[in-house]
Amino acid sequence: MDRHAGRGDEIPGTSDPVTRLSLDVLAEAASTPPPGALARLLPAARSARPPAPAAGFAAPFAARVAAMDALLASATPADWAQKIVEGWTLQELVAHLAATDGLVANAIGAAVAGPPLAADEVLSRTADMIAYTGGRRPEETRVEWRAQAETICARAAAMEPGTPIAPGGIQFPVSDHLLARMLETWIHTDDAATVIGLPLPLPLAAHIHPTADFCARLIPWTMLLSGVDGGERSVRLTLTGPGGGAWHVPLSVARVAAPDDGAPSDAQITCDVVEFCFLLGGRGTPEAFAARIEGDEGLAREVLRCAPALSGP
Amino acid sequence: MEAPGTDDRLLHQRVVGGDENALGEVHHRHYPLVLGLALRVTRDRVVAEDIVQEVFVTFWERPLAFDPDRGSLRSWLATIAHRRAVDHVRTEHRHRVSALGPRLTEPEPSPLEDWVLAADEAARVREAVSRLPGGLREPIELAYYRGRTYRQTAEDLGLPEGTVKSRIRLGLRRLADELAEEEV
Repeated sequence: MDRHAGRGDEIPGTSDPVTRLSLDVLAEAASTPPPGALARLLPAARSARPPAPAAGFAAPFAARVAAMDALLASATPADWAQKIVEGWTLQELVAHLAATDGLVANAIGAAVAGPPLAADEVLSRTADMIAYTGGRRPEETRVEWRAQAETICARAAAMEPGTPIAPGGIQFPVSDHLLARMLETWIHTDDAATVIGLPLPLPLAAHIHPTADFCARLIPWTMLLSGVDGGERSVRLTLTGPGGGAWHVPLSVARVAAPDDGAPSDAQITCDVVEFCFLLGGRGTPEAFAARIEGDEGLAREVLRCAPALSGP
Repeated sequence: MEAPGTDDRLLHQRVVGGDENALGEVHHRHYPLVLGLALRVTRDRVVAEDIVQEVFVTFWERPLAFDPDRGSLRSWLATIAHRRAVDHVRTEHRHRVSALGPRLTEPEPSPLEDWVLAADEAARVREAVSRLPGGLREPIELAYYRGRTYRQTAEDLGLPEGTVKSRIRLGLRRLADELAEEEV
């Protein structure tokens, strides 16, 4: 590539060559910040927006919480009042996230945000949280949602990832419940970003991958819930893009999806990893879903048709 | 002189996801430019350092305001720094008009797109370039004053492109040192 000096994509103002030269000179100046500059920056940054609350298996969820929080930091009063999805305003959407997170908080013995938990169920808890946040400022809802998510991450980090918990009566290992929270928080952040017109970057590949793995393992459950008997059949699922991979997915809940080992399968589905996760999360339509299918086309289409079955609001 | 695209994207993803180390990397990489710009406009070290802090806190607090599809992080940070510095100078100006030079009386904070170095600054830069040894001066004059690409510059000088790039970089560093000495 034949590029001009100044790294090709330039600081604006470059129509004047001496200005352009002067900015490039500045960028080359004695090139490290003085000692203490970063130590001064970090506390100010933390109080403006807290860093992601966790590492380890909670990290993918923690990073989505931070990303939603970043979106909320950019939200204007008009954005907060904007209808985003399900007829909810942005503030109500955050209340919904806090409600669903609250069931996980309750299941792991962490403090639950909002009014006392009356029912261990998403819809009624969401209604309670929306009523609760109704008289409050958006910023308060943001802080309460965020604080509860931080508590969940801190508490979960001290648990074995395989520990079974059953928020809303659905039993999975705690690590999978946090991936479910990751996916829902990601999708709703994307909903909000689309409506208010902010560009939302993708999660890191290292965070997408475990979420995609979780979605692959959910496939037999989505079929069961849709009343489709996958029997002894299986599909090979190849998810493309950063964080993707290939899985061998048996269609019976008695068996578990695993990284593809070349075992024979009845159908092969190849599609974008993010679109696949979003399909499981109830975004997009299975009929119009872009996928390359080989083998038993009818079976593959059945798998995709059932995929959104576990998605809630 | 690396292409910033993918790097910016990854750092941005990490900052949006709340990774403080990514903020540290952004700060480390772009501090000199942001400080230099703020200093150039405000001519006050303490104020300039406050502006630098504000610029990086702004990026951390509202990282979705930056869109990697629309430009580099470097240029985004520079634009914010310039705007803040000009805002500061305008506020100061209202308080004590007499203390400021004529170039600071521009009526609106110009976005960096329209910003051109003041004549005296430009003269200092040109002067410093003219004092560079020929081997560093020539590629800089070709690449900046005459708008030649790296490859064209290399052809003009009969040197490998890599040599031209490293001489330009060396020349920029030399200029940075010289101009910094004059400033302090």
